[in-house]
Amino acid sequence: MRERGGILHAKPFLLAACALALAACGFLASGCSQPEDAKTHLLVKVPRTGHDVVFDESMTQIDQVIERLARDFEASYDKADVEIEIEVFEQNQYDSAIEDTFDTPGSPDVLYGDYFNMSTYIHTGRVVPLDDVVHGGVRDGVYEYLWDMSTVGGKVYMMPYLARQNVLAYNKAMFQAAGLEDHIAEGRITSWSIEEWTHVLDALAASLPDGSFPMMMYAGSSQGDTHIMTLLRSAGSDFFDEDGRFALSTPEGVEALRWLQDGVGRGWFPPHSENLEIEDCSSLFRGGQLAIYMVNNASIGRYGDTVGLVNFPGPDEDGCATTFVSGFEVFDNGDPAKVQIAKDFLSHVYASEELMSYAAGTMPASIAVAEKYRGDIDQFDLFLQNQGNVVDFTGSNPDTRAVREVFYLCIHDLLMGETTPEETARRIDELCNKAIDEGVAASKLHE
Amino acid sequence: MSRNRYIAIFAISIALVIAAVCVYMDQLSSTVSKNLMTTVDEISRHDVESIEAALDNSYSRLDAVAKRMDVYDVQTMAEVQEQLNLESASSSVFNAIYLLDAEGVLYSSSYVKFEPDEHSYDEMWRDGRDHSVMLYDDANGRLETTKESLIYGIKLHDAEFAGRRFVAMLGRSDVSNIRDQLLIESFDDQGISSVVNSQGYYIVSASPATDLTGRDNFYDMLDGGYIEDGVTVEDVRRNISEGKSFVINCTRSDGERLVLSFAPVEGTAWSFILAVPAHVFEERFAPFIMLTAAMLVAVVIVLIIMMSVLYRFMKRSVSANAEAAARAEFLSNMSHEIRTPLNGIIGLNHLMEHNLDDRDAMEGYVRKLDKAAQYLLALVNDILDVSKLQAGKVTLNHEPFDLYNVMENVCEMQREPIRERGIVFDMQARDLPYPYLVGDETRLSQVLMNILSNAVKFTPEGGSITFRATQQLVVAAQEVNTVITIRDTGCGMTPEFRRSIFDAFTQERNSNADSQKGTGLGMAISHMLVCQMGGTLAVESELGEGSCFTVDVTLPLDQRRIGELPHETSNATALPEDIFEGVEGFEGASPRTCPDDAEERQGRPAEQVNLLVAEDNELNSDILTAILGREGYNVTLAVNGQEAANAFGQSEIGHFDAILMDAQMPVMDGYEASRAIRGMRRPDAKTVRIFACTASAFAEDRKRALDAGMDDFLAKPLDVPVMLKKLEELRRGLDR
Repeated sequence: MRERGGILHAKPFLLAACALALAACGFLASGCSQPEDAKTHLLVKVPRTGHDVVFDESMTQIDQVIERLARDFEASYDKADVEIEIEVFEQNQYDSAIEDTFDTPGSPDVLYGDYFNMSTYIHTGRVVPLDDVVHGGVRDGVYEYLWDMSTVGGKVYMMPYLARQNVLAYNKAMFQAAGLEDHIAEGRITSWSIEEWTHVLDALAASLPDGSFPMMMYAGSSQGDTHIMTLLRSAGSDFFDEDGRFALSTPEGVEALRWLQDGVGRGWFPPHSENLEIEDCSSLFRGGQLAIYMVNNASIGRYGDTVGLVNFPGPDEDGCATTFVSGFEVFDNGDPAKVQIAKDFLSHVYASEELMSYAAGTMPASIAVAEKYRGDIDQFDLFLQNQGNVVDFTGSNPDTRAVREVFYLCIHDLLMGETTPEETARRIDELCNKAIDEGVAASKLHE
Repeated sequence: MSRNRYIAIFAISIALVIAAVCVYMDQLSSTVSKNLMTTVDEISRHDVESIEAALDNSYSRLDAVAKRMDVYDVQTMAEVQEQLNLESASSSVFNAIYLLDAEGVLYSSSYVKFEPDEHSYDEMWRDGRDHSVMLYDDANGRLETTKESLIYGIKLHDAEFAGRRFVAMLGRSDVSNIRDQLLIESFDDQGISSVVNSQGYYIVSASPATDLTGRDNFYDMLDGGYIEDGVTVEDVRRNISEGKSFVINCTRSDGERLVLSFAPVEGTAWSFILAVPAHVFEERFAPFIMLTAAMLVAVVIVLIIMMSVLYRFMKRSVSANAEAAARAEFLSNMSHEIRTPLNGIIGLNHLMEHNLDDRDAMEGYVRKLDKAAQYLLALVNDILDVSKLQAGKVTLNHEPFDLYNVMENVCEMQREPIRERGIVFDMQARDLPYPYLVGDETRLSQVLMNILSNAVKFTPEGGSITFRATQQLVVAAQEVNTVITIRDTGCGMTPEFRRSIFDAFTQERNSNADSQKGTGLGMAISHMLVCQMGGTLAVESELGEGSCFTVDVTLPLDQRRIGELPHETSNATALPEDIFEGVEGFEGASPRTCPDDAEERQGRPAEQVNLLVAEDNELNSDILTAILGREGYNVTLAVNGQEAANAFGQSEIGHFDAILMDAQMPVMDGYEASRAIRGMRRPDAKTVRIFACTASAFAEDRKRALDAGMDDFLAKPLDVPVMLKKLEELRRGLDR
């Protein structure tokens, strides 16, 4: 260690330069030949995501699971000498990790991620159909509803590995304090009508002390906006029309928006919730300052018996829930051999019950794994039974992130009272459908 | 100056140049290094100033929020938090703002309330400073985010809102908010700046994590690599915590060498790090290396050229001086050599004048006079030979000849001296398979004669000389390589003389005065002649042991005589001694070539042979007239070519049997006169025999004479026996 000063040492450097020159001469004389690397490198990218596996406590992140799958494939694959590199990126850096790397050495061959974010790439024309991987055994071994979510234009572009079902959770103690014991349902995911929801929220608003709030609400960023979208079905709106386009400019849609806007004045949400983010609400719920918040079947365990589960208010008395599916996409970077190896990698994973079982901790895509570990996965049966109430929040949207960038702003203005429910409905339909149209126009599916 | 001395001077010069370059490189590296470190310092200072300015800006914004909170009319904590929410929403820096009350409760702009036991952010002010910043670590209390964030804090004095006293205000900001303004890449994007806290977690880095679970630690990188100069990770940790500026060289686990420059960020426990790959420094230095190397090469080349030119110039100068000295010595020798026989001739002339009546004495004087004259003639011939050979004006003949004859004649001419000195002569040239060759017989004879006469000259009595010749067919049987070796057991040569024996104007002097007979040009002439024939002349010699000369020459086969067997003299029974028996005279006629005496024609008597002599020199014409008259020939004299042509033209047809025509004469030279005679319209104009008599004795002169229509050639000074023999042959061929 030294203070600022010389870094280069001339004599050794001179000698090194001479040696380098001689080496260069030798290198040139030898014809500059270099041994060829026979290994095929496969780059798998995965966003940093917490993940628990019921039979392996060492697994805490999903990239550990992907690493396990990759090493197993490397060891057993005999058609080529394959080396799989796992690159982890942050959840909010899909753009820089995926789309920005196209046509560079850092372009992914395989992406594991949430369908919610991944589906956009299908329309870049780089994600290859995986129907040749989804042969009879594989298709039959995975829940059919997951294949529906993986299919675009009749072709399977994504391979589901696991799913998380989102519902709302309520703080039992706060409900009891508010005299809402009747609404506490043990051992099931309950549902309330819109009237019941209004009653519950009013009761909570009236009874909760300062610094505590009835229900989550946020519009500070696009994070968590799918839950807000789901709330917009509260008055019976289907949210999307038959073509999968936003259709909130209906009486049911406007009513749902009005319901939310009214809630601001009725004290259902934290003040100025338009400035909050989902993490703020998470902290409030975790700290007992928020009575109702969203959870999924993977995160429910952290609350134990302090919370009850209820579906989002929906068009019918059963309410609704949403599902986040995570799985794989294969990218075509111009090397058919690598595309085939990537497909072989997925075939290898989906042919192995052991490798598929690392999804046990959430809702496994594999029926066999789900059956095997259903007793070990927290509330598995509850969520499985609730599967019928799951609604789609993507519609025909080929560019989910573009829609998200405009949707939360509309809600932000609604919560601030700057736009009426009707105006908001119209803005959402206009801006979100414009994003969809642009996405469709730019969409290019891989041949 | 010797060659070794030149080499030593050259080596010392090169060593000095290299030493100078090393010193230059040392200074250059030092300068480049300081320059680069200055750049590093400037970048570091700029980045640190940017960071400090960003921090100050954040503190100022928090101060402003605190001041505004003071003027807001807030009655309850709900209103306080609601106001914080609005401040946070309107801030471009903070994602959340917190108030810390005197009891340690932390109130968030997102309405979250953290009890004292849920956090330890009050420890930010442990060091007493009013402003503080730290990297968010959920170990200090889990806030509303999992993103990499900075927590800014300012101390509040006498702050009371909604009846509660607050001691500090905190602002949480995503690291990404300040990363872009702080992350400055340098050195063509190869220098990476980063900021780490005292625990080694990156606050700013090129590839940052945005989530707490994914963040990297600087010390982990150091632990996985190697730090040079014995520096440990603990040393680095201590220096950072003590706020020092320092530099380390380290190698990462992937093998990349880095130069890491550290600078403290004022008011924090952070350190700014500028990591520059070592190859960047080396690449910056490389052009200077290349430049210096090129300069060194250029200097060395120039030096070599200069030394070479100087060496060649001096060598040439030395050579020229030596040559001049040799010429001077040669001239001196020649002067001596010429004056000596001249002196003898003058002396003999004087003696002859006083002994005209003493026939015995006169005969002795005449013989000595002849020897002196012959010596002078040889001397002049040699000098002329050397001059013409050096000027490249010697043209070799390419005519068929018999190598046996050449060797026999040469040996024959040395018969007497060999016999007189009792030298054992061993001739090993009996089985030559290809004696009929094409080349310059005379010049080859001259070479062999030079070598053999030298061998005889320098071989003492009782010594031996071996004459050996071998042949080999080459070049598709069209040429024959002949190697003739003449080995003697003479006095040999010193190595110095052996190296210069073929140089002109050199002659080894030794105590043996008898050996100094000759011009010293014979070997030089021989060497030049053999070289001109396309062959080599080599010598091996040991002082006191003897010498061996080897003539290696390749000559074309005489195609007309390819099928002809070698003549009988090559028979093994033709011993060397045979060569010296039954052979008469030095005229070179071998026994085979001598005409059969029994069949010899008598011809016309000399008295009936008419000769026309064209000679402008009165003395020479007198001598010639006297010699020819004494032999009985009728001589008509002409003093120039014109007179000769006139005399022939005015004579009766067939009157003159031969014309002895001097080549160089006034009015009309011999060549012109010959052409004039040959051009006359008379029957004998084409048949009269014309002998060219000229001091120009070279082949081209001979050719010129023949081209002018002359029939034969008599070199001046005239070899009287040869001349008479030719005339005798002519006479015998004439009808009575």
